[in-house]
Amino acid sequence: MGMKDPDRASSKKYAPLILAAIVILVPLAAPSRYFLRTLVNIFFFAALGCAWNIIGGYAGQLSLGHAAFVALGAYPTALFLLNWNIPPWIGFIPGVVLALIVAYLLGRLVFQLRGPYLALATLAFAEIVRILLLHFREQTGGSLGVTIPFRGTSVWKLQFASEQPYYYICLGLLGFCLYVTQRIHHSRMGYYLQAIKENQDAAENLGVNLSGNKVRALMISAALTALMGGFYVAYFYYIDPDSVAGMDLSIKILLVAIIGGVGTVWGPVVGACVLVPLTEISNYLFGGGRAGASLIIYAVILIIVVLFSPRGLVALLPGGIQSYRSE
Amino acid sequence: MHTGGFVLPVCSSGAQVEFPTPAQAGAFPREEIGTGPREMNTITLLQSIVNGLMMGGVYALIAVGLTLIFGVMNVVNFAHGEFVMLGMVLTYLLHNYLGWDPGVSILLVIPVMLGVGALIQKALISRVIGQSDETQILLTLGLSVLLTNVILLIMGPDYLSVKTPYKLSVVALGPILLSVPRLIAFMVGLSFSGILWLFLNRTTLGKALRAVAEKPEVATLMGINPKKMHWLAFGIGISLAAGAGSVLTPFFYTFPSVGGLFVLIAFVVVVLGGMGNIPGAILGALVIGITESLTAQYLALDLAMLGVFIIFVLVLVFKPAGILGKGKLY
Amino acid sequence: MVIGMIGLAVALVSPALAAEDVQVALFVMLSGPGVDLGKMSRDGAEMAAEDINGSGGIKALGGAKIKLIVADVTSNAAQAPSVTERTLSTGKISGAIGYGASQMTLTSLPVIEKSQIPLVTSSISDKITQQGYKYVFEICPKGSHFGATQVLFLSYLRKKYNLPIKQIGFVYENTAYGTSTAEGLKQTALKEGYKIGLFEAYDAKFTDASPLVTKIKASGVDVIFPVSYTTDAELIISTMQAMRVNPLVIGGGAGFIWPDIYKSLGEKINGVFSVGSWSWDSKNIMSDPQRRSVVERYKKRFGTFMPEQAGEHYAMVWTLKEAIEKARSTDPKKIRDALSSIEITRGPAALMQPGRIKFNETGWNLYVHPTMIQWQKGEPRTVYPEEDATHEVIWPVK
Repeated sequence: MGMKDPDRASSKKYAPLILAAIVILVPLAAPSRYFLRTLVNIFFFAALGCAWNIIGGYAGQLSLGHAAFVALGAYPTALFLLNWNIPPWIGFIPGVVLALIVAYLLGRLVFQLRGPYLALATLAFAEIVRILLLHFREQTGGSLGVTIPFRGTSVWKLQFASEQPYYYICLGLLGFCLYVTQRIHHSRMGYYLQAIKENQDAAENLGVNLSGNKVRALMISAALTALMGGFYVAYFYYIDPDSVAGMDLSIKILLVAIIGGVGTVWGPVVGACVLVPLTEISNYLFGGGRAGASLIIYAVILIIVVLFSPRGLVALLPGGIQSYRSE
Repeated sequence: MHTGGFVLPVCSSGAQVEFPTPAQAGAFPREEIGTGPREMNTITLLQSIVNGLMMGGVYALIAVGLTLIFGVMNVVNFAHGEFVMLGMVLTYLLHNYLGWDPGVSILLVIPVMLGVGALIQKALISRVIGQSDETQILLTLGLSVLLTNVILLIMGPDYLSVKTPYKLSVVALGPILLSVPRLIAFMVGLSFSGILWLFLNRTTLGKALRAVAEKPEVATLMGINPKKMHWLAFGIGISLAAGAGSVLTPFFYTFPSVGGLFVLIAFVVVVLGGMGNIPGAILGALVIGITESLTAQYLALDLAMLGVFIIFVLVLVFKPAGILGKGKLY
Repeated sequence: MVIGMIGLAVALVSPALAAEDVQVALFVMLSGPGVDLGKMSRDGAEMAAEDINGSGGIKALGGAKIKLIVADVTSNAAQAPSVTERTLSTGKISGAIGYGASQMTLTSLPVIEKSQIPLVTSSISDKITQQGYKYVFEICPKGSHFGATQVLFLSYLRKKYNLPIKQIGFVYENTAYGTSTAEGLKQTALKEGYKIGLFEAYDAKFTDASPLVTKIKASGVDVIFPVSYTTDAELIISTMQAMRVNPLVIGGGAGFIWPDIYKSLGEKINGVFSVGSWSWDSKNIMSDPQRRSVVERYKKRFGTFMPEQAGEHYAMVWTLKEAIEKARSTDPKKIRDALSSIEITRGPAALMQPGRIKFNETGWNLYVHPTMIQWQKGEPRTVYPEEDATHEVIWPVK
């Protein structure tokens, strides 16, 4: 960070602390349950965007099927809870393990592909997961999905009648994702990933292990995504193949990251702060089935970003460029 | 067991006596109840193949457009399905407000979409030609989301249907039954694909397009303007997709996100046939259509796309240049 | 002067003392594939609200009027909970009615239970009352019930007309509604000793019924029990006709008894049987002038016989009204308690067959049962069971 201006430097140091304090204290002053719920949604999508960012932003390997990992995390959590009463904070572990294994296999299979072929392969992967979830009705509930009954507040089961606990849990998860991203950003792996993103062949010539790094990045990304999938179950009480493994979710995840700023730690947070409130407003304005039209705005922003500011909105913020790795 | 005021009457036992002949739930008076003895397996197989073939014709029309765009411009158009959707919406509106039959509408849809495609190409696509894959993918993805949701806002999310008088008509080829609207779609699909192929191989303009696709530097030297060829290719590509949408309307619901269903299949076909390979796309489309149908029939209805995707992954991993091997390797 | 002042004060204050509206949330599908269902539900509910308000409102609350807060839950089960959350967050809702499709109801129940607002529902999935929720009240038969009734009706027909049935088949739409009904079908069929030749789920949003019909044809079943919504019902029947597949059709309700199918198939629908959760011409309705006038007024106003959804929603709004009368309060918790102990045998709420409503401890209406109808002259007429039937089966059909 440039130490041009001492005052600026010190105010920069305090800014994150102030921000953190605000965020932690918000629930005490929240005007309504609905307000908190919107914030939880923001944290949720920011975390997912962060996770996607690791493979899509840093490594530049566009995954168009990330929702599949959400499903791989959500379904085991939900089924363990429903069938054997295992609470989500234990139940998410099989989900994450499953996601890790699948990510490894998928990575080894498709990372030889480039560009659009890779993107298509990830699309096909997500669809396959969705179709299988729909088909094995006995185990997964098929299109009926899995509904978790609400039996009253229980810390053990992570069920709460009020919003506050969810707020802090999701905030914590987001913090964790940001922390992981931060570590990668400043690590050797982050450096390799960026090299791969800039020019795969050159990187390979320089001795960077393409496959190893990509697969590792995908595995980390998948694990974090699956973790959020577990949270999804605890918070929304209902999952079905279309909502947790569908294209809509995959697109939303990548929109959050790309619009916000790929390859940066805070980009997805910015992206979510834009995306979620816009969705809520359009839900309110258009209501019902037309609500999805809010995506028009993102699509326009995406197109603008792609054409004119490929580094995302973060680059437009003051000091935003600093968020990127020093070249 | 079910509780509540519901009492199960005693089981019935039946004495076998001649029964009257009821005509039930249908326009056809029948001789007896039931569908007869278990149908011969060959007929089911043939019927399934024929059904798949007919859809394949439509897929072909969608896919040749996609592969043309890739061949000439090296752009992977993730928004391709949305143009099918636009064709469907246009046809629906023409049918709803003017009473036009889809077979007539297609003649208007294709030229209109040609213009729309050229516009989009000039405004958006041209800016990313030659740029990184990610940029292209994201742009066309953004376009896809934009188109889907603009239509969602205008038309609403409801599933619309175009009711034509021949909607339920069937043509019998021996024991095989062909649904008339699907047959029409098949014929339109194949013939327009064929027309495209002829255009590319027999006309000067078509050859110019191919020149830009195969050797762009040489083409420029020969005086061909690649930019013009680009918007021509894009325009043709998406207008064919829209045309496919037109013929789909009599038997497929029209709704904003219908594009998503077709774009995936189109990509599978294009990869199967080789990117940029027109005959490959046509052949691939028929293969995929049949695969889908057979999977639905013999595996399970809801697994139809699974068969298609598995083929897709296999091809991607083992023979990315396509089954016919003439496609552009990445 | 003083009297004038007091008079003025009273005049100013009176409106405040007079009853405030009682807000009831109405969750219906007003967009997406379920929109026709939603519209029928809404028509019935609104008619009920008008009738209630027109006949003096809620007497226990000084003539307070019922105000329906209509919310579109779209036809997306994942959206329904958010819509529910948003609607109930105003804190002024005393009760709720919805959702039209079992899938929507199931996913919204956790929110309902958390908000502690009683929901009266016409959704049929067995799961609704199996989760131990205290705030849900199901007024209609259960899915498994439907299935059982359909098969028993087949046995009734078989005995009456001596039909040789070798195999029967079931095809059902794959959400909560179809699956619940199909389970009931299977269980009863096995018990009655029928051979099941086909048991296949399908996606109600499909546009091509030919693979399904090809399977029906290949299985050689003599009777088919389709459990469908509107567009799929229409597709299945018309594709069967086109492919010359003609088993006996005993429909699973929903699409098979709503006006839309008559609109698209016309005369061809006559003779088809179906089960239903509510019939407009059952004995308990035809024999009571007040209830009879409800279905007649509906017909005049909306141009078609009163469909299942409309009738149920009409009954549900009235049931809620009776509960509010009993609770003498707009407090949702008190209304919930009133609902759990209420017994209705008279009045418009008793529109539900057989004319008696009482909820058991899981929230299910003890006395309700499905009815079988047959389409005759473009309208569904109740033909079974005996206690509700007002018409005879027409056989041979046509």
